Amino acid sequence: MRIYETGFVLAPSLSEEDTENIIAQMAEIVTGREGRLIKQERWGKRKLAYPIKRFNEGFYVFFQYEGKADIPLELERRFKQADAVLRYLTLKKEIQVAGRQKKKASAERGTAREASKEEGASGEGLAVSESLPEVK
Amino acid sequence: MAKEERAEKTGFRKFFPPKRKFCRFCQKNVREIDYKNVDILRRYIPERGKISPRRITGTCAYHQRKLAAAVKRARLMALLPYVED
Repeated sequence: MRIYETGFVLAPSLSEEDTENIIAQMAEIVTGREGRLIKQERWGKRKLAYPIKRFNEGFYVFFQYEGKADIPLELERRFKQADAVLRYLTLKKEIQVAGRQKKKASAERGTAREASKEEGASGEGLAVSESLPEVK
Repeated sequence: MAKEERAEKTGFRKFFPPKRKFCRFCQKNVREIDYKNVDILRRYIPERGKISPRRITGTCAYHQRKLAAAVKRARLMALLPYVED
């Protein structure tokens, strides 16, 4: 189980109802796959820094959830299919202590190492911490 | 020759030590920089929308890397511009 954060931008042309529907659908994917939705953030309509698909605004939504790797996979598959999704980005949240902090707390390292060993196997993957962003 | 002239002029500062720059993320003990925090990222993006170099902002190497990654993520999500003019 890991913590992910997925953000996506919806087209402003959607009606409020449709926007709600899409968000609810995505939330359902998370909860339907043994995931736990930790936080849901809605920024609402916000001006885009540059036009995408001729839209100057976008509806920003961010999910933070805990679950297995199939959740972000499924979400991204849906995002790709949906025309209404302008952009999306999934990040793995770092649970590990950053390397710099480790150095500082080198005295505590001995005890920390045992704990981090368990993480070590899965911790390797953390280096590649983001799913590759969609290339424009 | 030129040097002497300058030194003679009153009120002309010949030399003053530059103010020491420091990493503002280290100061606040920030570990991760979030791409959604546009207000902070904006400070490191001058008018043209480029990422300011370390030598100007004084950010440490560790945080500069995090910062650059965050800016690039924010650009992808259209929170920050790729180019601005």
